[in-house]
Amino acid sequence: MNTYYAANLLIYAGVDIIAVLALNLQFGVSGIVNFSFIVFQAAGAYAAAVLSMPPHTAADYSFQVYVGGYQLPFPIPWIGGALAGALLAIPVGLVVLRKLRSDYQAIALLVTSIIANTVINNARPFLNGAAGLALVPQPLENQVDTGTDNYLYLYIGLTAVCVGLVWFLAARIVNSPYGRTLRAMREHELAATALGKNPVALKMTMFIVGGAIAGLSGAILVGFLTVWAPSTWLYPETIILFAALIVGGRGNNLGAILGALLVPVGFEEVTRQLIRMNIGPPNLIPALEWVAIGLFILGFLWFRPEGVRPEPHRIFEGSPEAELVEHVRTA
Amino acid sequence: MSAQPERERPEAAEGPMLIAEDIHRHFEGMHAVDGVSLEVPRGKITGLIGPNGAGKSTFMAVVAGTLPASNGRILFEGEDITRLPTYRRARRGLARTFQLPSEFARLTVLENLLVAAPHHRGDSLFGALMGRRYWVKDEERLVDEARGLLKRFGMSAKESDYAGLMSGGQKRLIEIMRALMLHPRCLLLDEPMSGVHPRVIEQIQFYLQSLRADGLTILMVEHELHLVEQLCDSVFVMAQGKLIGSGTMASLRRQREIVDAYLVG
Repeated sequence: MNTYYAANLLIYAGVDIIAVLALNLQFGVSGIVNFSFIVFQAAGAYAAAVLSMPPHTAADYSFQVYVGGYQLPFPIPWIGGALAGALLAIPVGLVVLRKLRSDYQAIALLVTSIIANTVINNARPFLNGAAGLALVPQPLENQVDTGTDNYLYLYIGLTAVCVGLVWFLAARIVNSPYGRTLRAMREHELAATALGKNPVALKMTMFIVGGAIAGLSGAILVGFLTVWAPSTWLYPETIILFAALIVGGRGNNLGAILGALLVPVGFEEVTRQLIRMNIGPPNLIPALEWVAIGLFILGFLWFRPEGVRPEPHRIFEGSPEAELVEHVRTA
Repeated sequence: MSAQPERERPEAAEGPMLIAEDIHRHFEGMHAVDGVSLEVPRGKITGLIGPNGAGKSTFMAVVAGTLPASNGRILFEGEDITRLPTYRRARRGLARTFQLPSEFARLTVLENLLVAAPHHRGDSLFGALMGRRYWVKDEERLVDEARGLLKRFGMSAKESDYAGLMSGGQKRLIEIMRALMLHPRCLLLDEPMSGVHPRVIEQIQFYLQSLRADGLTILMVEHELHLVEQLCDSVFVMAQGKLIGSGTMASLRRQREIVDAYLVG
């Protein structure tokens, strides 16, 4: 395994972990079926790209057209990516989350994802249309030679810091009384409302927080890949993230991480190895990958709906169960 | 975007707790509630009875804010709350339970109660991000309070069990305890005894009487008339969306049109 391959794997794993942690806050904890999740990752990627790229009139960049082009130094593009995800969540959330019932919310968000991709694909002056953006500058490329192993280690380190930060935020939310309120809303929205909880405010908050984290994941990814196009954020990409969360365990941050490692990273790797073996026609293995993901989701929903790492059973200090455990431990 | 409840309103010493004035609720021409006016006195248990389809649950939903009134006005402690959303009515002390079980199934019994607790520093995004040390004292205080309620309702042993695994009667008790964690001044109960084992019905009856003794105002929809007779200080009767009578159960039994419309049938 060469360094680039390992770095590629680790950075993708980091990006997927960040994305699935965000989806866990929205879907796993709050019950928002955000089928447009990938759009927020894309918004972060595009924002980070145009914040770090020079204007499209610059030499070497004139083959593409896009708005912005501010050449801002790291970490501004990554912060901008997170902000873009959060800002996009406001209008989408206000339209979708206020009036619609949760199943209609899911449909509306799926349609939003398809519309967004179609618009960006066809509105070339905005973000270069279907061809997408290329030659996106990498973080700290003026300080460190991007062609070296050291740069790969640096990128892995930066990604790991972001994973740690997102994990920290997600853990604080999930394990707090606020997280408990979100879970209550997920279980029975009307009953939570009758207890003084404002479901629109709760959902909007999680939509914006999740949007920001998704945007950050997109910014990290585009900084590594240096290209970004509509074909990389088609709506099925969201389904993969949902599969990861369902397999790993909804409502559990550890489950989200496990799912991210098993599904997007694991499946990608297995597919890559199978393609090398030249089994059947060229597109057979990638197509079977989708079939396998579908079966994986169905299988888990049928046989183990709580996932590999279910939501923790929260037992409070001083409860009969906790005292029994303590008694057994001391005995 | 905090979920913190609003501060309690100063309590008006006199007058009814809840006044409904000429409440209408139409569903595409169908008058589910048709000009109902009633007053719920403080510190009493008031019953709302009527045959199936009379509009009782719709009326309760309108009072709680789950359904908007097509017309009319609702005053809670003298304040017009007609246009307030459900969550703001709850924060003012108007709590409700539902006709169908509405427990938070994948939360434990204790967590169900804690969700309802007002004034928790950790129940906002800011509080959550500040970390456990910021809100742990509130949590400990509220856990103690919730355990007090569980003890009072005889469910201490169940605190760590998932609410979704409880029996029908236990779910009803959880709902009542959860509403009490809100520190309500008025409790709307929609058929609290339905689908409940007779032994648990006796328990619920006992608890409701003790809540009344504590000064809580209760408006209750119930089908079992002998329970209404035992529990309620006064009773309103609805039929076909209209209020057709009020008084004690004994006096209602003497009113011919009410007996014809409901009590016999």
